[in-house]
Amino acid sequence: MKLQEQAQNLGGRIATIHVVAFILLSILGVRLYYLQIVNGEYYEKRAENQRIRLIPIPAPRGAIFDRHGKILVDSRPTFNVVISNEPMKQLDIEADERIDEYAYGLNLEPDVVADRLKQIKKQNDFETLVLKDNASMQDISWVEAHQLEYPELRIELQPQRFYPHGTAMAHILGYVGEISPKQLESERWAGMKAGDIIGKGGLEEYYDEFLRGRPGFRKVIVDSRGRIQREIEVVPPQAGQDLITTIDLDIQMAAEQQLANSASKRGVIASMDTRNGEMLALASWPSFDPNVFVQGSKTREGRKQIAAYWQDEGRPLYNRAIQGRYPPGSTWKIPMSAGGFQSGAMTTASNSFACGGGIQIGNRFTKCMGHHGHPSLVPAIARSCNGYYYRLGLKMSIEKMIEMIETYEYDKITGIDLPNERVSQTPKSWKPIVEKNEGRWSDIRTVMASIGQDTVVVTPISLLRTVAAIGEHGKMYVPHFLKEFKKINATEHFEERPGFGFQRPEPKILPLKPEEQKMIATGMWSAVSGGTARIVNIPGFDVAAKTGTAQAAVGSKDHAWMVSFAPAYEPEIAVVGLIENVGFGGTHAGPAVKGVYETYLAKREPLADEQDEVARR
Amino acid sequence: MVAIIEKRDLRDFDWLTSVLAVAIACFGVWQIYNATPNDTIWSKQIVGIGIALAAFTVVAISDYRRIIDAAPIFYGIGLFLLFLVLTPLGVEVNGQKAWLRIFGLQFQPSEVAKIPTILMLAKYFGARKGGTLQFREVLIGVAILAGPVVLIMLEPDAGQAITYFPILGAVFFLSAIKVRYVIGGLVLAAVMIPTAYIVGVKAGVIKRYQQDRIMAIIDPESVDPRGYGYHTIQSMITVGKGGLSGIKGNTETSQSVLKFLPEPQTDFIFAVTAENTGFIGCVSLLLAYALLISRLIIGAREANERAGMLVIMAIATALAFQIFMNVGMTLGFLPVIGVPLPLMSAGLSNLLSTFIAIGFVVSIKMRRFVN
Repeated sequence: MKLQEQAQNLGGRIATIHVVAFILLSILGVRLYYLQIVNGEYYEKRAENQRIRLIPIPAPRGAIFDRHGKILVDSRPTFNVVISNEPMKQLDIEADERIDEYAYGLNLEPDVVADRLKQIKKQNDFETLVLKDNASMQDISWVEAHQLEYPELRIELQPQRFYPHGTAMAHILGYVGEISPKQLESERWAGMKAGDIIGKGGLEEYYDEFLRGRPGFRKVIVDSRGRIQREIEVVPPQAGQDLITTIDLDIQMAAEQQLANSASKRGVIASMDTRNGEMLALASWPSFDPNVFVQGSKTREGRKQIAAYWQDEGRPLYNRAIQGRYPPGSTWKIPMSAGGFQSGAMTTASNSFACGGGIQIGNRFTKCMGHHGHPSLVPAIARSCNGYYYRLGLKMSIEKMIEMIETYEYDKITGIDLPNERVSQTPKSWKPIVEKNEGRWSDIRTVMASIGQDTVVVTPISLLRTVAAIGEHGKMYVPHFLKEFKKINATEHFEERPGFGFQRPEPKILPLKPEEQKMIATGMWSAVSGGTARIVNIPGFDVAAKTGTAQAAVGSKDHAWMVSFAPAYEPEIAVVGLIENVGFGGTHAGPAVKGVYETYLAKREPLADEQDEVARR
Repeated sequence: MVAIIEKRDLRDFDWLTSVLAVAIACFGVWQIYNATPNDTIWSKQIVGIGIALAAFTVVAISDYRRIIDAAPIFYGIGLFLLFLVLTPLGVEVNGQKAWLRIFGLQFQPSEVAKIPTILMLAKYFGARKGGTLQFREVLIGVAILAGPVVLIMLEPDAGQAITYFPILGAVFFLSAIKVRYVIGGLVLAAVMIPTAYIVGVKAGVIKRYQQDRIMAIIDPESVDPRGYGYHTIQSMITVGKGGLSGIKGNTETSQSVLKFLPEPQTDFIFAVTAENTGFIGCVSLLLAYALLISRLIIGAREANERAGMLVIMAIATALAFQIFMNVGMTLGFLPVIGVPLPLMSAGLSNLLSTFIAIGFVVSIKMRRFVN
């Protein structure tokens, strides 16, 4: 070291630099130890989290069939053109010619494209946005042909709910849509996330848990821009369970047709199997097209149509059969007759009351529609004598009428497997209110209640259920649409979903003696064979029916009713018809009910003997 | 040229240092391949190493004293190249004009100009006689450094400019500057740098993005995690992920292949190394650098004249400092500034300047017995 002497301790200074260099490198080593050895696992996790994405694969929803296996609701595959976010961030959207190119290629309005692109800029990275849903084959091939120019575009499969029968059965089936923020908070939908599709209204909502499939996912590796590099794992979705309903599509369509032909085009026709409560048809008019809700909520026209449904004075979204409450008018005389026996106000031996052309209550005379003398029960039903029921009601007293209401469960929902059913209103619910407001329950109210007016407003489904129960010798079933949910086999990732039928409770046995039941059925049969319900007389098929002409709001026409079952003494089917604001029940509701029976008969004849035998055992 | 190499020269040729440098550079090629396996950058780097080795050989077998004599010419060329960067010949990348494209070759004069600057300082300070450093000498030293630094700051490339200061520091320190000035300078720096930063921020001289780069070091998660913080976070994730021995199995999902790590083959090559070879690989590399620097410093001790000693020490200091800056940035405790890792980062300028520098060391060592 020849230089050492020349400077102030040069060797020491060189050594100092040497040491400083080593210290710097040692600092790096310590920091490396901290990052790689101490926190290695933490960073490994973070690296994994940012490169691995789960892309959900939507599960097909279970289809819905009628009792004979005809498709009522299906899912059909549709394709969406989606755009990934990250590459778009760099583009100047205002100036970018891509807007026009997308618009041209996908047959969209440039405004719509620009809107969507603006929207995606606000989103988080890695998210995608649907640029065009329901893409056509042409759109798909355009995207595929331009994969190199527009790597941000991708085609995604999206099963879309499809209701092939349009407005028919809309109230039974409901529709599907994105879960609402409010539903997300509720317990029923725990575990769901925004954007998930759930059933809304009808069977879609009531049985959503079973119809809904279990979504699968693709586990993929993405790069820093969220572009998929490789697939690690695919968990295929598990489809939802198929639902076989009790609906008979032919009867249902006949009911829809009858309502379409009705004068006001507003009303209800519902039909059920009296022997087990299986609903064969339920039509409520006016109706709506569920497809509009599925497809349309994203388009301007669709939103307009949905708004129109909500604003329509005909209330098409409202299921009249389970939510509408109407005065039953003379159809109420059927449960009243049963109540008369139950209360002891009459017996099979002694059941005559004066018609008197009406009744004088205080200073007011309430008329009957005619002068029926002093009829017994059968002609009273057949000719719909109001005077008879005024006196029966008074003899029973309101307390016994309320007892009948409780026995026949007009104070409860029927328990049909549809959401948002409403309870009928009866003297049971009104009595406390009337007594509070008026001080007492007056006889005139009992008289009016006896013929299904004033304090009696019932849902068509509750009336159908009780009339069917009276026909079925006093066995009252819960009306329902579920026949069977099909089993779904277990997969590698999901458990088996067992099949099941409707959990039918034992029918409620009504306190109705066979002779009493037979007398009421005879009255209804007489109404058809020679009374007010002659219009539903079908040769060779004994229909038992009762008409009703219920006073509606002041200034509008009466509601036309008919309740019925057939065959009269060994019923299989019950039908209720209600046409709003048209006039006389026999004239308007009668043909509607008859149309349903004719369809039923046309199907029944060839198999009649065999099926009847099986059913009766 | 060949005639000049005599047997004795070959015997005295510093094989160990040369092989060490080539080994690190080859290790770098492997990491560049890991960073961008789908690209041909690694093969370009091999060509770069070939060119750099040719330059290295020429420098190593030349008489360094003649080159030091000619230092003012090289210094002038260096300044001219730095000036050219600012003309339309300069290529702008990410808002910085740091590159020069000549005959299709792109290089970074700020990297290359380091050597003429070292030579110029060595020429001046090597000629001085003993005794403590004079104030006049300090001013001349500062003036020599100011030439390239000012031009680099105009690019602007603060990161490269910073790497010039340790060179001057080392030269002053070895030119018998009084220890109390050294301590005084360090204390002053410790006070002045934060003060200057705060004043700079208040006065608006230090721009928002520059502040973010600094703040990103203190808390990368909250300061702009998609901007400057993003580089720091991703680099730390990449390093940490390597663990003890690096990623096992396929490299298809590495941070650089998936493009989470920015600039993997250049500024963040050390993160790639960390991800692929783990703590073991990284420590081995740091030890290799330590060994290389030690070899240089031993060479400096053996040098038989001041100028040669100063050249080697300036190179060793610059190397150590640059490694510290680059790896410190990669490990997330120094700001993200574009300083390449010597011998490792892809790029001809980096290879060329480092190999030429080591060429000088070899040349100086080879001639330590010559008078």
